Amino acid sequence: MQRSSASSERGSSQLPFGPKTLVIGAAALIAYGLTRRSKTGTALAAAGGLLAYKAIQVRSTEAKTHAVFLVNASPEQAYRLWRDFKGLSRFMVHLKSVREIDTRRSEWVALGPGQREIRWTAEITEDTANQRIAWRSLPNSDVHTKGSVNFRPDPLGRGTFVSVNVEYGVPGGPVTSGLAALFGTKPEFVVREDVRRFKQLLESGEVPTTRCQTHGPRGIHGHTERVLFREKTNLPDPQAAPAYRKSA
Amino acid sequence: MKAVCWMGKEKMQVHDVPDPKILNPRDAIVRITSTCICGSDLHLYDGFIPTMEQGDILGHEFMGDVVEIGPGVNKEKLKIGDRVVVPFTIACGNCQPCKEQLWSCCDNSNPNAWIAEKMMGYSPSGLFGYTHMLGGYSGGQAQYARVPYADVGPIKIPEGIPDEKVVFLSDIFPTGYMGAENCNIRPGDTVAVWGCGPVAQFAIRSCFMLGAGRVIAIDRVRERLELAQAAGAETLNFDQVDILDALHEMTGNRGPDACMDVVGMEASGHGALYAYDRAKQVARIQTDRPIVLRQAIMACKKGGTISIPGVYGGFVDKIPLGAYMNKAITMKTGQTHMMRYMGPLLERVQRGEIDPSFVISHKLPLDKAPEGYRIFRDKQDRCIKIVLKPWEQPLAA
Repeated sequence: MQRSSASSERGSSQLPFGPKTLVIGAAALIAYGLTRRSKTGTALAAAGGLLAYKAIQVRSTEAKTHAVFLVNASPEQAYRLWRDFKGLSRFMVHLKSVREIDTRRSEWVALGPGQREIRWTAEITEDTANQRIAWRSLPNSDVHTKGSVNFRPDPLGRGTFVSVNVEYGVPGGPVTSGLAALFGTKPEFVVREDVRRFKQLLESGEVPTTRCQTHGPRGIHGHTERVLFREKTNLPDPQAAPAYRKSA
Repeated sequence: MKAVCWMGKEKMQVHDVPDPKILNPRDAIVRITSTCICGSDLHLYDGFIPTMEQGDILGHEFMGDVVEIGPGVNKEKLKIGDRVVVPFTIACGNCQPCKEQLWSCCDNSNPNAWIAEKMMGYSPSGLFGYTHMLGGYSGGQAQYARVPYADVGPIKIPEGIPDEKVVFLSDIFPTGYMGAENCNIRPGDTVAVWGCGPVAQFAIRSCFMLGAGRVIAIDRVRERLELAQAAGAETLNFDQVDILDALHEMTGNRGPDACMDVVGMEASGHGALYAYDRAKQVARIQTDRPIVLRQAIMACKKGGTISIPGVYGGFVDKIPLGAYMNKAITMKTGQTHMMRYMGPLLERVQRGEIDPSFVISHKLPLDKAPEGYRIFRDKQDRCIKIVLKPWEQPLAA
């Protein structure tokens, strides 16, 4: 199936290098400029200062993510699985639960490091059956997020394109670090894997996992690699039988 | 239960581990009656395929009895008590590749698809006991195994056929057969087969089944060449002759119609190029030694076909792409699309057209697996294929 994903951290897209490179470059320019003690030197130091200012601006945790998968199911089937918000945690692995407050609002709970709960209330901003669902978080939430999912039938009858756009904006404070740990430095990875699990659940009725499987003694080497291969994010628990849904 | 664990390069150990349990609705648990060591396990034994973890249970050629099934398993396809052979590829049965019978390319069965995507663009199916890049599933060199999507892969075996005749339906017989099918054999064709290991033995016999006129088998291990001769193949020993010269001679300078690389990433050879590949592989500059593939491309006739059932893991260099392009060669490969072949090949076994047990040279209790790996890798003791018996106690020596 097809997949693609992309993300852009706000700010960094305007510059051809990453924040780290900028900081090093800026520091070098300032140091070089100041030691020259000339007009050129001053100009260089000023340019360095400007670069450093830019670098600080870039360091925002806002992120836009995008992922698309062509799934072997009809738009109706895909929409139905996604629109059942209670079931989102079956493929969005960081979610602990989603509780629907009324037809438009729902309360989302994600688990951060140390099992700390991160909560937000989301409202549906758009809900077109079998085509599109959009949502955004309400004020007083731990995270600012908005997102949408579109279901578009392939014109050649090869299934349904499920394309997801999610934006995260994180206010400062302890939550920021928590969220960074939660989503890692690559939010697009998390979103793409969530959508991949959605496809797996929709097509085969379950999400493949090796969590909790039997194995030999891991030792330090084995444990390190488990973290490296992100196998901690294989679904956290054996999937309960009641969660089973007839596959597409 | 007892299980064969990969604890590092050339370090296999039998450990007592917890019994597997049902994790997903479509899982089943199989009590294993026979399991084998595959030539491709040797690539893991030698530490050449990345993403193994210490403590991984190996093994992807196994059969046994279904002792437990999850609530999502289609009861018409599988029930407790069924005797089954489990294919080494794991397939969901519902994604587009599965619908197109490309079972080993299943979209959904690899929980670590992102790792494979980094190396291959898109991820093939998950495999039992074969690296975390390909799923990280615990394998079948054990007393029990968890089998995902159990209503898709396992094939039921009627009572009355011994394990030894059907256990190779789990991998090597279908793999050899698909290798031969990928040769596009027309009646009377000449096929050159590099390697005379267990998969190649089935490939050679499958070539004849599909109408090949001549099969030329290449290896250097005497008992393997003898086994190929027994199937009607002509043989070449690459320690004794230059393979390209010999193939020119035998085909009147036309080259074989099809060439099959049943060796893969750990090929042996002679001369400077072999030393160069060996050194680069040890230094981790390239993952695979493509000696056979280079030879096959050079040897293949113009407009011929190359089939690669041998396992490659990563990257190779000095491939004569100019020869490949200018000679209009077709290349076909892939992990075996098991579910396409298991049924028809079981019927061939039932009709008595072939008795796959001819490749077995050793039957060992599971506890002897570490020793089995060593003699299989070093081709000692006339070892061709090892079947492990998980419930047999080792005899006191």
